[in-house]
Amino acid sequence: MPEKIRVIVNEDRCYLCGGCAGVCPTLAIEVHSSGWEFFQDKCISCRICINACPVGALSAEPLEVSE
Amino acid sequence: MKEMKYDVVVVGAGIAGPIVARNVAKSGFSVLLIDKKPAIGTPKQCAEGISIKVFDKYDIPYDRRFINREIYGAKLYSPSGYELELRYKEASGVILERKVFDKMLAYYAAKAGADVLARTEALDVIKKNGKVVGIKAKHEDEPVEIYADVVVAADGVESTIARKAGINTYAPPHEFDSSYEYEMLIEGFDPDMIHLWFGNEIAPRGYVWVFPKDEDRANVGIGINSDNPKTAKYYLDKWLRENNIPAKKLLEINVGVVPVGGFVKDLVKDNVLVVGDAARQVNPMHGGGMAEAMEAGTIASKWIVKALEEENLELLKNYTTEWWETDGKRLEKVLKVRRVTEKLTDEDLDLFIQILSGADAEKIAGGDYGEVIKALLKHPKVLLSPRRITLLKELL
Repeated sequence: MPEKIRVIVNEDRCYLCGGCAGVCPTLAIEVHSSGWEFFQDKCISCRICINACPVGALSAEPLEVSE
Repeated sequence: MKEMKYDVVVVGAGIAGPIVARNVAKSGFSVLLIDKKPAIGTPKQCAEGISIKVFDKYDIPYDRRFINREIYGAKLYSPSGYELELRYKEASGVILERKVFDKMLAYYAAKAGADVLARTEALDVIKKNGKVVGIKAKHEDEPVEIYADVVVAADGVESTIARKAGINTYAPPHEFDSSYEYEMLIEGFDPDMIHLWFGNEIAPRGYVWVFPKDEDRANVGIGINSDNPKTAKYYLDKWLRENNIPAKKLLEINVGVVPVGGFVKDLVKDNVLVVGDAARQVNPMHGGGMAEAMEAGTIASKWIVKALEEENLELLKNYTTEWWETDGKRLEKVLKVRRVTEKLTDEDLDLFIQILSGADAEKIAGGDYGEVIKALLKHPKVLLSPRRITLLKELL
């Protein structure tokens, strides 16, 4: 099982180009004119969005497991 | 809640969207074209080069307001610096100002009768009894429901509306390129030509481009496979450093992801059509998609008009059929070529460009690729390499 992650954006690097949303297989990211939005419940931790970002604006942090 | 009703709503005013909106409006149907950007065409996500043939073919005025300059060919550079120049006597392409071009395409749609709303973001589809009857959108801060008989998803690489409508636009990560581009001051390159650098260390799977805009201004960009662990920005900055090109006069930074394969199988679901980047209708070799978007938009609008005239939305499915029989078939062949060229080593690229920089350049410029491959196959360094022979034969 791959580690479950939360995808986070560095807003200072992000151009809101929509590429991450375009490559996401599960619509876990939406890029609006006003900002970037991540839907944890849809994310499958595949990291495709992180690799695809042309500027490296996305990164992953391990998802904390609730005790 | 504000409500609107149109025959057709088109989401996205890139290239495909305005072509559809213009053509459908010309036939007398009511059309709304929306775009989430406050200024259509801005920011650009493009190197701005296009064949000169598209203006006649798609009935677009050859307007100097959006044509920066005419281009007479291309110069290709191999990893070790061998050069191949393909120069035509007459202009073969143009470098556009996309910010003006896109806005003018929307203007032509508006002039033809379409309504156009900038800063209107499509958020979701509206479904009734399982069928899409319109879209939910937001115009500035005001929510709006737009009802339409036909919904066109021309919403770019994200293809949010297409996917929410149930059209499968998924493509695996290897079928996307990550792209990064500076519009910058740069000197020392023939401004009548586009310039392309190839090499697995320079731009894995893709290339670096210089597309001149003025004598000393150009789009300087890169596309690499999007599943690469390093970023497109990393590779472009490295190339600039290694070529001693100062990156200190940057007028714009443009970023995007380009679909270079994984064409959408079913382009229509009930009354929803997907066109352009959203449908992955992009040339997989060079990553250009404007002409492909124009072609798809033309085919799509033809069937939308017929379906509305005959009040038979089943006819929309003919868009899928016709696209796959024509441009889809062509692009599938190009995709095969890309998959072969992906296997080329830097030594292969050096050798091929070296061989072709001689007598065969005229044939390449004429677009006779079969003859070019045959010429490569005759060279001793190719003949002695079974791997190269196999690769080249796959291209024939």
